[in-house]
Amino acid sequence: MRKALLCSVLLLHLITGIGWAQSRNVSGKVISNEDNTGLPGVNIRIQGTTSGTVTDLDGNYTIEVPSAESVLQFSFVGFVDEEVTVGNRSVINVELYPSLDQLSELVVVGYGTQVKEELTGNIARVGGDQIQNVPVPSVEQAIQGRAAGVFVNSLNGKVGQGINIRIRGASSINASNDPLYVIDGIPVTSENQSNTAAPTNPLADLNFNDIESMEILKDASAAAIYGSRASNGVVIITTKKGKAGATSFNINYQYGVSRPTNHREFLNASQYIELLQEAAWNNDVADGYFADVVDPENPALIPAGIEDHPDYAADSWLQYIHGTFDFLSGDRDWRTNPANTNWEELAFQDARTQELNLSASGGTDKTRYYASGSFSDQDGILIGNNFKRISGRLNLNHELKSNLDFNANVGISRTLNARVSDDNEFATPLQLVAQSPLSPVRDPEGNLYDDALNPSMFYYPATVELENSRFETSVWRNLANTSLVYEPVDGLRITGEYGFDLLTQNEDRYQNANTQGGRSTAGWGSSRWLRIFNYTTRAYANYVKPLGEVHDIDLTGGVEFQKSQIDQTYVAGQNFPSTELTRLVSAAEITDAEGDLSEYSFLSYFLRANYKLLDRYLLGVSGRVDASSRFGANNRYGFFPAVSAGWILSEESFLQNTRAISFLKLRASYGITGNAAIGNFTHLGLYDASVYGGQPGFVPYQLENPDLSWERTAQLDVGFDFGFFKNRINGELDYYVKNTTDLLLERPVPYTSGYRTIMDNIGSLRNRGVELVLNGTILSKTDLQWTAGLNMAYNQNEVLSLNGDQQTLAQSGSRWLNDVIVGEPIGVFYGQEYAGVNPDNGDALWYVNDEVAAEDIDGVTYLNQGGRIATNNYNLAQRVVLGNPTPEFIYGVNTSLTFKGFDLSVLFQGVEGNKIFNGGGTYMTANGRYEDNQTVDQMNRWQKPGDITDVPQARLYSNNGAQASSRYLYDGSYLRLKNLTLGYSLPKSLLGNYGLGTLRFYAVAQNLLTFTQYPGWDPEVNTDYAASNISLGNDFYSAPQARTIVFGAKLSF
Amino acid sequence: MKYIKYIGFTSLIAGSLLVGSCTDELDLSPTDKLPAESALNTGENIERILLGAYDALSDGDLFGGNALRDSELLGSDGDLQFSGTYGEPAEVWRKELVTSNSDVAERWYSSYYVINATNIVLDNLELVDEEEQGRVQGEALFLRGLAYFELVKYFGKPYSAGNTTTNLAVPIITEPTYEFGDITYPERQTVEAVYARVLEDLQQAEDLLPTSNGVYANKTAAAAILSRAYLQMLNYEGARDAANRGLAYAQGVFSLVPVYENAFNNTTNSSEDVLSTQVTTQDGVNNMQLFFASTRFGGRGDIEIQNQHLSEYEEGDERLALFYSDPVTGESRTGKWVDQYANVNLIRLAELYLTRAEANARLGTEVGASPADDVNLIRERAGLDPIDNPTVDDIVRERFLELAFEGQRVHDMKRLQWDIDGFEYDAFELIFPIPQREIDANESLRQNEGYF
Repeated sequence: MRKALLCSVLLLHLITGIGWAQSRNVSGKVISNEDNTGLPGVNIRIQGTTSGTVTDLDGNYTIEVPSAESVLQFSFVGFVDEEVTVGNRSVINVELYPSLDQLSELVVVGYGTQVKEELTGNIARVGGDQIQNVPVPSVEQAIQGRAAGVFVNSLNGKVGQGINIRIRGASSINASNDPLYVIDGIPVTSENQSNTAAPTNPLADLNFNDIESMEILKDASAAAIYGSRASNGVVIITTKKGKAGATSFNINYQYGVSRPTNHREFLNASQYIELLQEAAWNNDVADGYFADVVDPENPALIPAGIEDHPDYAADSWLQYIHGTFDFLSGDRDWRTNPANTNWEELAFQDARTQELNLSASGGTDKTRYYASGSFSDQDGILIGNNFKRISGRLNLNHELKSNLDFNANVGISRTLNARVSDDNEFATPLQLVAQSPLSPVRDPEGNLYDDALNPSMFYYPATVELENSRFETSVWRNLANTSLVYEPVDGLRITGEYGFDLLTQNEDRYQNANTQGGRSTAGWGSSRWLRIFNYTTRAYANYVKPLGEVHDIDLTGGVEFQKSQIDQTYVAGQNFPSTELTRLVSAAEITDAEGDLSEYSFLSYFLRANYKLLDRYLLGVSGRVDASSRFGANNRYGFFPAVSAGWILSEESFLQNTRAISFLKLRASYGITGNAAIGNFTHLGLYDASVYGGQPGFVPYQLENPDLSWERTAQLDVGFDFGFFKNRINGELDYYVKNTTDLLLERPVPYTSGYRTIMDNIGSLRNRGVELVLNGTILSKTDLQWTAGLNMAYNQNEVLSLNGDQQTLAQSGSRWLNDVIVGEPIGVFYGQEYAGVNPDNGDALWYVNDEVAAEDIDGVTYLNQGGRIATNNYNLAQRVVLGNPTPEFIYGVNTSLTFKGFDLSVLFQGVEGNKIFNGGGTYMTANGRYEDNQTVDQMNRWQKPGDITDVPQARLYSNNGAQASSRYLYDGSYLRLKNLTLGYSLPKSLLGNYGLGTLRFYAVAQNLLTFTQYPGWDPEVNTDYAASNISLGNDFYSAPQARTIVFGAKLSF
Repeated sequence: MKYIKYIGFTSLIAGSLLVGSCTDELDLSPTDKLPAESALNTGENIERILLGAYDALSDGDLFGGNALRDSELLGSDGDLQFSGTYGEPAEVWRKELVTSNSDVAERWYSSYYVINATNIVLDNLELVDEEEQGRVQGEALFLRGLAYFELVKYFGKPYSAGNTTTNLAVPIITEPTYEFGDITYPERQTVEAVYARVLEDLQQAEDLLPTSNGVYANKTAAAAILSRAYLQMLNYEGARDAANRGLAYAQGVFSLVPVYENAFNNTTNSSEDVLSTQVTTQDGVNNMQLFFASTRFGGRGDIEIQNQHLSEYEEGDERLALFYSDPVTGESRTGKWVDQYANVNLIRLAELYLTRAEANARLGTEVGASPADDVNLIRERAGLDPIDNPTVDDIVRERFLELAFEGQRVHDMKRLQWDIDGFEYDAFELIFPIPQREIDANESLRQNEGYF
C-alpha cells in the first residue's frame, strides 16, 4: 500500500506541478549518489507524523518541520532510506545510495511492471549499471555470473561469435535452447545468421550501455505470458529512458589490451625431432628393419650413425621421416639450424580495444528523452579477428494529454566483424599449432611458406590466409518501436504498440589465388546478403485498481501478431584477374547464385490477473493462446496457462515483532510453456530442387507431419524471498522442476526409407534444481559502502524418454562422444574408456567394460590392467557413460566497496561438474601419429618394456590410442576472476567549480585469473563448427577467452 | 477532449482488426521447396525426380567419389598410402573400421536415398508421357540396380566366398516412402537375393534404355554394370555376353579416345565415357580429385602412390607417364584426378574390352573378338607393343593397370580371391560394418560378424 500511495502522490505531483511548499523551514536537494542528478519524487516524511512532501523535478524540496529534534526520512524506490536529524540547519542536501535491497525495485514483467516485493514468479534482474564498461562485445557475456541459474558459455574466444546461454538447463534436444529476447517489448532476432559453420550473434549488435535493466523470466508464472516461446526463459531488455530535469550529459572513453587467458605448450624443434624420429624408428623395428642394432633393453634408442646402416636406404621409415624433416625445414637445415618456430604464439595478435560512449538525457514534464551514440572497436586475440560497432539511440516519451502518452524508441547500429575461419579449418589461426616447429614462417626472401605454392608444411597455414583473404560480416540493425498509451479512466491503460527489428547483413568473403580456398580457382569470392524483417503489433489493456483497503487487482490482456521474414541472396565467383580486385564484379566466372525467402508468424491472445489481499496474500493467473505457422494444421493452436501464489509472512502479526526478519515471502507457481524454435516448415511434406549436369530436378526432402506441435514444459517453482536485519541481508531460494514433454525431436528413421529423420513430438526430459541468491550490505556509512552478493544454481538435467523404448539417439561420427541417452543429461559423453598403456608393448588400452570369460584373458587381446579387463582393440571396448558436458553447478560471487572517491568491484564466476572433450587431441596429443606438432606431455611416451605411462608408444601413421575416448576427456570445472573494476571519482567540490558533475577514472580487468584443472587453452569452450544442443563441451583448436584490461574515464555534467 | 478517446479506442480496434486479418498469415509455405502433392502430380515432375536421383547418385559419399575412393583404399595392398587427417577414410585404408564411421553411414544413407527416389519414379510411371515411359523406367531401374550393386559389394561378403544364400547383404526396398506410415523396418537379405535384384533391374534396364542418352544411363552402361555383376558372381559367360552386348550397343556412340591421358579430367564426357558423374563449377563434387590431387591443384593430397605400384608398368607405358610428382611434397600422385571440376569417370569403354577379353580367355572362347585383339587394343592405346596369346593373368594385370585408381580395385581383388594387406579376401575387415546408427534405428538388422 505504501508504494501505491507513493506512486499516486508522485503522479499527482507531476500532474499538477505544484509542490506542497509550506511556510518555510528546511529546504534542500536530494541527489542520487549514482550520477549526482536530482531525484524527483523522493518521499520525505517527518518521523512519527503523517506530514511529508516529495521532491520536485530537479530533486528540490521544502518542508516545514516542528522542531530541531525532528527526523526527516527520505525514501525512494530503488534507493536506501536515509534519516537525517534536522538540528538547526535550514538547508539539508541529501545523497541517496542505490539500494541493494531489491524488494522495493520495480521489475519489468511481460507487458508491464511489478514491484519485486509483490512478485509471485522468479525473475532475475541485472541492472544496466552492473554491466557498463565491461569490455566484451555482447550483452550475454557481460551478465555471465550475475544472475542465478543463467549459464553463459562462449563457444571460443572469437569476437562477435555465438554464445550458448541456458536458463535453468536445456529443455530441448532438437529445437533451440536459447531464451526469447524481448527488447522494449518487441521480440527480436537473436539466432545465428552465419553462413559458415561458426555461428554469429545478433545480440552483439546491441550497445549494452543503453540498457537500463535486463529481466530474466525463469519460472512458468513469469514466463507463461510469452506462451509458446517461453520454455527456455525470456530475457526482457529495457533501454534507458530520459528523466525530466536538467540535461545530464555523459562521456565515457576506455582503451585497453587483450591477451589470451592461457597459452599451451607444444614441442620445440629438438623434442619434435626426437619424438617423430622415434615414431618412424618404432615402425622400422616392428617391420624387422635394423634388427642387428636394436637394443632389446631399450628398443626406442636409435644408435648413432644409423644412416649408414644398409636398412636405412631400403625404404625405411626413418629415412622417410628424415626426408619429411627436410621438406618441413624449408631453407633451413633441421640438423644444424632448425627454425624452432613457436606457432602457438603466432596465432595470437597484439589486441587492442577501445570504446567511446556519449549519452544525454533530460526533458520536461511533458517530453523526456534519452539519446546516445557509441563507437566500439575490439580486436579479438586471434590474428585477423576484430569487432567494431557504431550505434545510436533515441528514446522519446511525450505526454500528448494528461491521459495520453506517446513513446518512441529507435536504435540503429552497424557492426563490422572481421572473422576468421571456423575451428575445423586449417585457415583458422589456432590450427597453426599443428605446424611443425621445424618449419620457418617465411623464406629468406620474406615470402610466407605454405603447403602448396612455397611449401614447407603439410597443412595450409593461417599466416597465408591472414595476408591474402578478407572475411567480413557487416550488419545494419534497426530496432524501433512506437506506442500510444491511453488512460480513459483512472487505472485503465490501453496501449497500442508497433515495433520492428530490421537486420541487414552482408557476409563478404574473398580468398585470393595464394590461399587454399582460392589457389585452384585463381581467387574465390562470395557475398551473402540477408534481410530479416521481424515485426510485432499488439494492443493490450492494463487495469490496476485498489478495491478498498483490502483488495488490489491488476489485470492485463491483449492480442499480438508477429511475423518474421528472412530474405537472402548468395553469390560466389572465381577466377579473379588480380589480387587487387577483390569484389565479385571482377570474378570471371560466377559459380553459385542462390536466393530464397522464408517466414514464420505467430498470432497470440494473452491475459493476466494479479490479486492482492490484505497486502500479504498474492495470487496470479495468466494464460496465452498462441498459433503459429510453424505447426501442423491439426495442432496449430496451443494454450499456455500458469497460476501462482504468494504469502508475505512478514506482514503477518506473528512475524511483525521478529526484529531479525524484515521480509519473508513464500511463493509457488505452476504453469505450462512451449517451445516453437524449430525450422519454419518442418511439418510439411516437401521436395527440394536439385541440379544435375545443369538440369533441374526434384529430390525428396521431408516427410509430412500434420500433427506437429509445441514442445510442452510444465514447470513448478517453490521459493522464498527473504530479508533479514532491515533487509541488510536479503535473497531468494528456489526449487524448481521443469518437465518437458512432446519434445520436438528429429526422430531417427531407418535410412532404408530414404529419409534420416522425421520431426515429431516424442520423448521427454526434466530439469530440476535449486537456486540461491544472497545479497548483503556489510557496511553502509556515508563514506564507506561495502556490499557482497552470491548467486548459485544447481541444475540436474535428465532425458526421461525418447521414441518408445529407444534408449539412445546414437549420434554418428567418430570424432565426438556426445550422445543422448535415456537417464542421462543431454549430450552426455558416451564412449570407450581409456585404460592407459600396456607396460609390455606400449599399446594403447581401453577397458572392455563387458563380461570376458577368464580363459579369453590372454594378455594380448584381453589383459588385466589395474584389476580391470582392458584390450588393445578399440572395437572390443564397450562404450560407457563418461561424463556430463554441462556443469551441474554454476555460481557467481561479487563484492563492491566504495570508500570516499574510490570504488572497487569484484566478480568471481565459476562452474562445477562438467567435463571437456578435446577433439583436437586425436591430432595434437596423439603420441606422434602424424607430422602434427604435439603437446609437450607427449614426451612421456612409452619407450621400453616396463615403462609406466599414459602415453602410448609413438608409431608414425598408426593410430595407437588416438581414437575418441576418455583419454581426451578432462575436468572442465573452473573458477574465474571474471571482472575486477577499480575506480576513482574526483571530489565533487573540486568539479563543481568547473561546472562538472562527476569525473571518474577507472580500470577494468576481465577474465584476470582462471583456476582450472583443464590442460587445454581455456575451460569455457565449445568448438564453433560442431556446437549444437547435443554437441557440447568440446574443444577443437578453439581460441581461449580474452583477458582484457582497459583504462577509462567517465565525465558527466 | 473526445478525439483523444477515439485515438485510444481506434488503436485497440485497429489492433484487433489487424490481428483478425492475420489468421490467414498462419498458412505459410516455403518459396524454395515444393509440397509433396505438387511434386508428384505430373509426368514432367516425375522426370524431374529421376534427375534428382542422378543428383543423389552424384553425392560425394557415393559416385561423387567416395564409393570409388574406398575401393582403392580398402584394396591398397601397399600400392598407395593414405596420409590424410580425415579419420574415416584412414579407417578404411587401415581396415580398422568402427561401426560409427560416418563415411560408412553416409554410403548406406545415400544409396537408399537414390533407391527411394527411383522407387517413387517407378511407382508413378503412368503419369509420364507414354513415349518416354520406357526410357524413364529404364533409367530408374538402372540407378536402383547400380545402388544395390554398390551396397552388396561393400556391406556383404563377396559372392566369390560362397554361402550366398546364407551370407547377409542389405535390405531390399522396392516400395517408395511417401509418408511416415510407409516406413518399414526391414531385415537384411542374402547376398544371393541382392544380386538377383541387381541382375533383374539391370537386365530390364538394358532392354528399356536407348543406346544413346546424353549424359544419362544407356544400354551400354546397363550392360557394363551387368558384366561387373557377373564377374563378381564368377559367371564368365554372363560377363562375356554382357560386355559383348555393351560393345555392340556402343558402336557409333562410344569409342576409345586415341590418347590415354585424354580419357581423364574432362569437364564434358569424352567419347569413351559410357557414364560419368557430371561435375560443373556450379554443382557436383569430385571427391576423387579432393583426396588424390596435390594441394597445388586444390586437392587434399591425402593419397600417395607407392613405388610398388609404379614398378608394375612396362617401360614406355603412357599410363605410367600420367603419374606426377607432387610439386609440393614430391610424392607420386595419379594424374587421373587433377581437375576438381572434371566429371568423375564411372564406366569407360576400355573396361568392356578387358572384361570380354578376360571372360573369353577363361572360357576359351572368342565371342565378339579374341582376347588378344581386345587386350592389344588397350595396350596399343597406352603406347605398348601387342602381345600374342595373352593368359588370364596377363589380362587381369592389364585390367589393374588400365583401371588403376578408378574405384574397381578391391572388388576385383575380392572376386579373384587375393589376399589384401595380409587379410584373406573375405575377411570381415574388408567388409563395411552395418552403421551403428542404422542398427539403433532398426532392430531387425544384424551386424556383420567381427564388428560389435
